[in-house]
Amino acid sequence: MYLSTPVGGISGTPTGDVGIRQSPNSPNVSAKVLIKAPSVNDFGMAESVPAPVEGGREPRRRSRPRGASARRESETDELGRRAVELSRFYGGKIETVPKVPVRSLRDFALWYTPGVAEVSRAIHADPELSFDLTGRWNTIAIVTDGSRVLGLGDMGPEAALPVMEGKALLFRWLGGVDAVPLPIHATAPDAIIDTVERIAPAFGAINLEDIASPKCFGILEELQKRLPIPVWHDDQLGTAAATIAGLLNALTLTHRSVKEIRTVLLGAGAANIATARLLLALGHDPHRLALVDSSGILHAERADVDELSVRNPWKYRLALRTNGAGRTGDLASAVAGADVLLAASTPDPNTITPAHVRSMARGPIVFALANPVPEIWPDIARAAGAAVVATGRSDFPNQVNNSLVFPAVFRGVLDARARSIPDEIVLAAARQLAHHAADLGLSSDHLLPTMEEIEVFPHVAAAVADAAVREGIARRRLSHDEFLHRAETQMGRSRQLVRALQRAHLTPPMPRGGPSARRRSP
Amino acid sequence: MTGANESGTPPSPGGGDSPAVPIHLRPARPADLPVLVPLLLRLKRLNEEFDPLLRVRDDAESQAREVLKASLNDPKAILLAAEGVGPDRDKVVGFVHAILRERPFYTPEMEGVIVDIYLLPLYRRHGVGEYLLKEISSQLKAKGAGVVIAEFPAQNEIASRFYAKRGFRAITERHARSL
Repeated sequence: MYLSTPVGGISGTPTGDVGIRQSPNSPNVSAKVLIKAPSVNDFGMAESVPAPVEGGREPRRRSRPRGASARRESETDELGRRAVELSRFYGGKIETVPKVPVRSLRDFALWYTPGVAEVSRAIHADPELSFDLTGRWNTIAIVTDGSRVLGLGDMGPEAALPVMEGKALLFRWLGGVDAVPLPIHATAPDAIIDTVERIAPAFGAINLEDIASPKCFGILEELQKRLPIPVWHDDQLGTAAATIAGLLNALTLTHRSVKEIRTVLLGAGAANIATARLLLALGHDPHRLALVDSSGILHAERADVDELSVRNPWKYRLALRTNGAGRTGDLASAVAGADVLLAASTPDPNTITPAHVRSMARGPIVFALANPVPEIWPDIARAAGAAVVATGRSDFPNQVNNSLVFPAVFRGVLDARARSIPDEIVLAAARQLAHHAADLGLSSDHLLPTMEEIEVFPHVAAAVADAAVREGIARRRLSHDEFLHRAETQMGRSRQLVRALQRAHLTPPMPRGGPSARRRSP
Repeated sequence: MTGANESGTPPSPGGGDSPAVPIHLRPARPADLPVLVPLLLRLKRLNEEFDPLLRVRDDAESQAREVLKASLNDPKAILLAAEGVGPDRDKVVGFVHAILRERPFYTPEMEGVIVDIYLLPLYRRHGVGEYLLKEISSQLKAKGAGVVIAEFPAQNEIASRFYAKRGFRAITERHARSL
């Protein structure tokens, strides 16, 4: 393997905690990078939060979460202060670095004028050559309007920049992808779509990030139609793919088939709307699928269904297609007898109660993905009979984490030079993630790879590239082994690069916290 | 036709006036009012989405009952109830409401105005809207109308497209501002 050290295991290397995050005002769940103190050397967050105890009793529910959340809060405060300090010290997180030799100024006759004119003429004659003769093959844009940044809400494009930089860092570190943070001043969907269309020639793929629901759906759909490169919205697809991966293994563990289960999705934001679509693509019976949001069970005759047809056609379509039994009412009516509950809703541990879990089918599957606090604590869910529980947190087993997905998906579509990113590719990533965890031994505590199992990334990338070839959308068709090798090389090179810069002190060592950290002229 | 017409599976077609359409159209009766009132309110609440000047009043429910009751007894109004077929046979799933108006200055001298048309989402598409439009048009014509007019919020693009596809065009416009 090209990498024996865990991702964050290098002393002094800034790492990102990668967890599902949750807006307090919105039922949507998606994942986000939180920059983390350098001394913490894994992808886990909140090591001080006590590990869950199996078979916990209900009375503990009151005291534990309160203590944990207080600790979490002070820890988060400290991380925030440190992140500001370091952002100032380093002047942001990424920079562009040449990848060609420059022996003397004379070399610029090759890299720039007059030599470059011939490169330009060649691409003019065949624009597809931009994937061979420029860095386009490995470059993506991380585009946001800043309308739904982390759990912070509408922060605007400037305030979204540090977050997009963090994402770019993850793209580079985990996926070997050159990612350009690109917050834009645009609010209307058409303006965002036009802007992305105009910048697309420079990129091999586009990652949309932190765009509010429901406008994110229409923007993604339209850009996928218009652009000759893959367009991804991580808050939808990344989270949904990780969820599906975990679910596939949970189904195997509990001897269920996706075609027979009855599933309830709690929360109807970006992630769950995408999850619902992927479940249907997997052959889930739409009539046995129900979505529940703050207005109760979604159904075709709900009072707000016409309003949805105007404001959120994606949810409207699911209202018409799902819930064949025509159930109405709240979560309790929805989950009775259900096999699976996938919650991406409110960070409140009492959102799902033990009674909800007890009312489900025998040995149910419960994913409580809200962050920072799941909709039910895993030990409580297990005590109430859940056979398998997953959350968005790294301090519990089975973290559903979109960072397992996006670096590898982009590596794969870039290596295949894919023209688009159909759901079949998203499912290929999910299946590969599931396989990988299963290969290492499936258990109710090991549904998904962890971020430490970094060898999974190139395998997911190769599975994605293979799927692009199968789907007939690859500009470049290589064998599985070639794709795998490319992914390993490119991902490994990124980490070598970062380490080499650190060894050479071109990336200065991380300063200690405190006043000394406040001064450095970049 | 009002509302978005996306996917959705209606009950299997069959029965009724037109075997191709999964509804059965008949004149509304006073006994239908408890079902028609909520459907009319759904339509008005949908209209509310398109313009703040179409905000639904608090007493809209009793108003809806009065308006529909008046039309049931008015020879210059037509109120048709759409029932489902198969297992939904006795369920009113939509309605269409039209009135006849004199045109003192123009010919044709009488116009039939479709003021309300609503179908529950699962019964949309599959030619149901078109069928409703055809039926109401022929009944208006039988009552002397020489032109059929559809009224709907200017911002309702789905309705605009639906009527445009069936040969309708804007002939007058109503522009508004708050006072």
